[in-house]
Amino acid sequence: MAGDERRSRVTTNGARLISIDGVNAHALRDTARSVAAANRKHRAGISSWGASGIFDELTVADSNAGIPSVRTLLLLYAADLAFRLRWEIGPALDEGRLVIAAPYVATPIALGQAAGLDPHWLADIFRFAPPATEHHAIDPAPARPIAQRQGFVEFAWQHLETRLGGLTRLELMDRTRRHLRTNAKRPSGA
Amino acid sequence: MSSSSLDQKLRRLARSHFEDRSRRRGLLVAFEGPDGSGKTTQRKLFKTWLKAGGYDVVTTKWNSSDLIRPIIKSRKTIRVLSPLEFSLLHAADFRHRIESVVLPALWEGKLVIADRFLFTGLARDVARGLDFDQVLKLYQPLVWPDLVFYFSVSARTSQERIATTRAPTFYEAGQDVTDIDEPAASYERFITRVIREYESLALIFRFITVDAERSIHDQHQEIRRLFHEGEQRPWSDWNLDAVVEWLAMRGARV
Repeated sequence: MAGDERRSRVTTNGARLISIDGVNAHALRDTARSVAAANRKHRAGISSWGASGIFDELTVADSNAGIPSVRTLLLLYAADLAFRLRWEIGPALDEGRLVIAAPYVATPIALGQAAGLDPHWLADIFRFAPPATEHHAIDPAPARPIAQRQGFVEFAWQHLETRLGGLTRLELMDRTRRHLRTNAKRPSGA
Repeated sequence: MSSSSLDQKLRRLARSHFEDRSRRRGLLVAFEGPDGSGKTTQRKLFKTWLKAGGYDVVTTKWNSSDLIRPIIKSRKTIRVLSPLEFSLLHAADFRHRIESVVLPALWEGKLVIADRFLFTGLARDVARGLDFDQVLKLYQPLVWPDLVFYFSVSARTSQERIATTRAPTFYEAGQDVTDIDEPAASYERFITRVIREYESLALIFRFITVDAERSIHDQHQEIRRLFHEGEQRPWSDWNLDAVVEWLAMRGARV
C-alpha cells in the first residue's frame, strides 16, 4: 500500500509528521495547536480524526442499522485515516511541510487493545500509515463531562457501550491510556 | 474471570454448540463470481429449493449493511474513493454483517446464503493493485463458508451479459484504476483482472467451480447435487476465533 512510498518522501524533502495520541480530546487539541504555533515557519498544519465525514454519517445512521463492534469501528477509523493521508497529510508532506496528526495510529491501536483485540491485527490494519517522524503520547485523564467535540475514544464508548463487555466509560479510558503508555515505551512507539 | 479463562470457556461452548448432532447445525454457503456470471439467479433458485426442503434460510448480500452501505454509496456517487478506502469500507461493511446477520443466524442453526463473500473483496481489491496478504488481514478473524460455489465465466461473457441490461458503473468498470474513460472498455480490462484473481482464489481455497456458461437448469441441478455432498461436512475450527469474539461481544454467559 502507500506507506513505503510516503516513507521515502518524508525523509528526502524535509517534511515532518508529528503524531500526538491520547484519550483526552481537549488535551490533544491544545497540544496540537501549541506544536503548530511553535512551528509556524514550517507552515505546520493539523489533521484530526473524522475529516472524511464517516463518523458524522455513522452518528445519523438509522436506529435500526445496528451498533458497530470495536473491530468495525477501527476499520472505519482506518478508512478515515486513509482519507486524511490522501487529502491532508500526504499533500502537505509532499510540499515539505510539517503535519501534526492528532490522533494518529497509537490511539485506535490502544483502544483496540483495551477492548481485547489482537495487537498484531491492530498493527496490520494501520500498516499503510507512514511512521511519524516524532511521536507524543499525552496522558491527561479524559475530560468530564464529555466534550462538545469528542475524542475518538469517547466517541467509541458512546457508540459501543453495549458491545464492550460492560466496561464503563472511565474503565475504557483508563485501559486505553494504560496501553498508550505501555506502547509508547516500545521502540516502535505505537 | 480472567480473559484467557473466559476465552477457553467460550471456545468449548462454541465447539459443543456447532458439533451437537442432535440439531441441524448452521451452514454457510457462498456464491462467488464476476458480475454477469448468473450467481444471483442461481442463488434465488437455490434459496427457493432449500425453503421447499424445510431449511430456514437467511440471505446476505455484498455491501448491504444498513450501517455502512450509505457511507460507501455516498462516496461512490461522487467517485472519491481510493482503492485503499474502498477496501477498508467494504471490509467494515462485511464485518458488521458477519456480526449482526451471519453469525447470529448460524448460531440459530439457519442456512446462510451469501451473495458474494470476502473473496469478492479479495478479488476486486487485488485487481485494484492492493496486496493480497494485507487485504486478507482486514477480514480477520476469518469466517470460512462450508461451501463456496464459484460461477466461472469468461471476461467476454461477463461483459456481454452486463451490456444487455445496463452500462457498468464507475467502480464496477474499475475506472478508478484503469484510467479508461469509456466504461465498457474499462470494464473489459478490469473484469479480466478480477477473473484472474478469482481463478487463483478458486485454487487456493478449493471453491466448487460451476461452469456458468451452461444453461441455468443444468447449473441449478449441479448445485443441488453438490450441496447434498457438502452439507455433511463437519464443523470447522477455522471459524472458532470469529465465533468466540462474537460470543464475548454479546456477553454470552458460560
